[in-house]
Amino acid sequence: MHRTLHPESRQKILLGIVLAMFLFFCLGLIKLQLIQHSQLARQSDRNHIRVVPLVPPRGEVTDRTGRTIITNRPSFTVTVIPAEMDDGVPPMSLSWLLGLDTAEISFRVRKNIQSRYLPVPVRRDASDTIIAVLEEQADRFPGVTYLVEQAREYPAGLLTEGFTGYVAEASRENVVRDSSKARQDQYHMLPIDYRLLGRLVGREGLEKQYDLQLRGSEGTIYKEVSAAVQVRGEYESKMEAAVVGPTVEMTIDLDLQAAAVAALDTFCCGAVVALDPRNGEVLALASFPGYDANIFSSVVPESLWQVISADPRHPLLNRPLKGLYPPGSTIKPLTVGAALEEGVIDETTTLRACTGGMPFGNRVFHCWQERGHGSLTAVHAIEQSCDVFMYQLGVKMGVDVLSRYYDKCGFGYKTRIDLPEEAIGNNPNTEYYDTNYGKGKWSKALVLNNSIGQGEVLVTPLQLAQFYCGLANNGVVCRPHLVRRMAYPDGRVTATVPQVSFTLPFSPRTLSLLNEALRLVVQGSGGTARSLRNPQYSLGGKTGTAQNPHGRDHSWFVGIAPLEAPEIVVCAIVENAGHGSEIAAPTVGKIIAKYMELRAERPRVAAASDEEQP
Amino acid sequence: MKPSYLELDWKLIAAALALSLIGIALIMSAQYGTRPDSEPVYFLRQIVWLVIALFVSAAVLRVPLRLFELGAYLFYAFAVLLLILVLLVGSARMGASRWFSFGPINFSPSDLAKLALIVALSRFFAYTKFPPTSKRRLAVSALLAVVPAILVLKQPDLGTSLVFFVILAALWFWSGLSPWYLLVIVSPLAALFAATNEVLLVLYFAVLLGGLFLLRPGLLFAVIAVAANLGSAMITQLVWNRLERYQQLRLEAFLNPATDPRGAGYQIIQSKIAIGSGGFWGKGPFHGSQARLDFLPEQHTDFVFSVLGEEYGLWGALIVLGLFTFILYRSIRIAGRCRSRFISNLVVGTVAVLMFQYLVNVGMTLGLMPVTGLPLPFVSYGGTSLVLCWVIIALIVQAEHHRLDY
Repeated sequence: MHRTLHPESRQKILLGIVLAMFLFFCLGLIKLQLIQHSQLARQSDRNHIRVVPLVPPRGEVTDRTGRTIITNRPSFTVTVIPAEMDDGVPPMSLSWLLGLDTAEISFRVRKNIQSRYLPVPVRRDASDTIIAVLEEQADRFPGVTYLVEQAREYPAGLLTEGFTGYVAEASRENVVRDSSKARQDQYHMLPIDYRLLGRLVGREGLEKQYDLQLRGSEGTIYKEVSAAVQVRGEYESKMEAAVVGPTVEMTIDLDLQAAAVAALDTFCCGAVVALDPRNGEVLALASFPGYDANIFSSVVPESLWQVISADPRHPLLNRPLKGLYPPGSTIKPLTVGAALEEGVIDETTTLRACTGGMPFGNRVFHCWQERGHGSLTAVHAIEQSCDVFMYQLGVKMGVDVLSRYYDKCGFGYKTRIDLPEEAIGNNPNTEYYDTNYGKGKWSKALVLNNSIGQGEVLVTPLQLAQFYCGLANNGVVCRPHLVRRMAYPDGRVTATVPQVSFTLPFSPRTLSLLNEALRLVVQGSGGTARSLRNPQYSLGGKTGTAQNPHGRDHSWFVGIAPLEAPEIVVCAIVENAGHGSEIAAPTVGKIIAKYMELRAERPRVAAASDEEQP
Repeated sequence: MKPSYLELDWKLIAAALALSLIGIALIMSAQYGTRPDSEPVYFLRQIVWLVIALFVSAAVLRVPLRLFELGAYLFYAFAVLLLILVLLVGSARMGASRWFSFGPINFSPSDLAKLALIVALSRFFAYTKFPPTSKRRLAVSALLAVVPAILVLKQPDLGTSLVFFVILAALWFWSGLSPWYLLVIVSPLAALFAATNEVLLVLYFAVLLGGLFLLRPGLLFAVIAVAANLGSAMITQLVWNRLERYQQLRLEAFLNPATDPRGAGYQIIQSKIAIGSGGFWGKGPFHGSQARLDFLPEQHTDFVFSVLGEEYGLWGALIVLGLFTFILYRSIRIAGRCRSRFISNLVVGTVAVLMFQYLVNVGMTLGLMPVTGLPLPFVSYGGTSLVLCWVIIALIVQAEHHRLDY
């Protein structure tokens, strides 16, 4: 410090460092390339260590009683090794054997290739015959091999497709997404982890939502590979075992699910959602018509794909979550509740008597009952589903007040159910009409439509079921969910804790009045669903008949049972079927009857769900 | 005064060009026959980048160095601003936000910040009146380096943030700080490593105290140095826990590659096999089986030197090492001959960047250094890195041309 270096010597030190680095590297190179050359060359020539991923079978899925919903079965996958194919072109014989044309095979190879030396899957779930031919005439198929993999099996495919979803080969987007996730906890600096290409990943439904868990964690084998990349054996017996994904126990009851699908079976299209209002458990979720999830486990032929996607009944649409319908009269408890809360009416108010219609502006808005309902209080207006009563409430409150209650009851928002996609519906207010029709260019009469759940109001069956769960559970809406617990292979179990989503904007007084009205719909002398009356248990609910411009009315019914302490809310819609009381009400009646029957048979299961009451 | 092209240091330029071309050949080789359709053809892109880099370099040649000197702090402030901006709005990739994306081009401001720090420190050291060991001088210059280093660390990019400290250390040294002093200042870093083993720690402190006794830097300084060392030895565990898992794995794998044959250790093992199997003559262009069979990780970027060692053997590797040594040696000589202290500092700062990346990258592929994601200057695939290298060459060539100016 006191003796500062002369600039010349500083320069010499730096030059010395540069030369020292050169020597240091030279020694390093000499050590590797001359001294250890023969040993390392041998490793390079003969003893490559190939890191081979071990893919565990995906986790299994059961219903709440332990019956299998999704499982695995062994299947053969035909693969090709691009480097070993003549001219890189798949042999014609292969195209004949697999029944895929050469262009299709080449396309699949290009899509899934990770390296020219690694097998690329071209045909999953190949038949035993194909494998037998490959075994016997191996020399006719250069570069073609096969491996045993696990294929997904859905024993009740058609029953459960509404929530299971299916698995398919990972697309480039899947791989990119997963790689960026994996990068955070592993050392993979590759731009994309190409090893994932062509691997099976969840698409749609539960398979997609819980994909990362179901996949388990991949293991690794270190294999010695020759220069020709033939696997020679395992390397120093080093391996990391694969860990199978957890067994997922769903909230679904397969018997109830079967009853729900059976109840829809005679109609064209429809949906059923059954929820436990106490905790948000989804007991059944049916979308009709559906497709068989099993067909996606092997290669979907283009022809079959076209049949499915061209079907006018849209079997791929998941109706409970993505089907958008006007709620019709099922929304009337909301209109009445809003009016009570806003002080527009009280429980004794009778508005202008219903004479079968109400003039507003320059037209008459009809009630469904042409004879008219006469003078009614709020409770009886719901019981008899009087439109004129609702029109008057709508006019008194206005578009925006009503819309605010739709909003607070969860309409226009996702329910946050544990499935990947759901629609949010439509909840029109002044702003909405202004943007769509222009300021002042829309009629105030639209509020009349909204007050009876018609017009531009659109909801999903799940949202409606959720709303009724709130009514049945003292205003508290629990987040709907499909997974009860996951049991990991190491013994760890994670149980889903019920969550409160939101609380309905109704006071206890309003809630008890609305529940009384729902009781009268079935039990009352003028109720629209009197046909469901039943001596064994008490049932409540609300019918709905939603007009739609494309055909006959949609038929709605939401039922609650048993009324003393509600355990199940069932919401059903049958498309283009007619009146709610005639079609949807009996459908829900059958499902609730099944639930009551199961409840008597399986007290243990019912008790188990009681335990989880907070 | 514009440099006349005939008077430029063509030997230096030729060496840099040779390295760049070798890089393109290696990148081509790394992808040869194994490129999935989805991957871009890297060597073609690198050719485009080289053309861009040469144009940028030619442009920098025409910017008077005086302008850098005048605008030094402005440039520095601008670069720091960009670093802050990239943290806020940069496009995140691989869990790190390091880039501004302009369509297909990703611009990483940390490369610009390296230059900005070099320029700012060069100017600071050229004019400061304080003696080399004054606390004021050390503190201000350290602050200049710490600000961008912390911003880059936030991205997070540990390797690059180290480069800022290397620039600082190089310029401290070049502007007169005694090397012993420098060693004491960086000693807390060494204490971090020494603290992993008790015996090593005792030995380390013995050496440190002995050194201080011989150096006699003054009581206060000695006390601070010992305290800093004790402190950093104690926080080793804390620092270790703060590291990302992959960073821990890399360090562990460096100490013992067998601990992690799949991850970082795997890379080191495979890189060593690749280079070693190349022998003296190499396996020949496009015949590296390690590279061919995708055993080598990141062949076109961080491990491009392994491809060289495998396909061109010892003689090929020696040529590249020779070219690097030539460039560094010549640049340091230029720095020593410059009359202007600013220009001289500038050259040493840029040389420090090249030298550090070269040391860390080649050391890593030979298994002599831990794995860090720093590219090999001129050779590795990567646009901004190549442009930065060529800007550095332009600066050094200019410095040589103006070595007699004040």
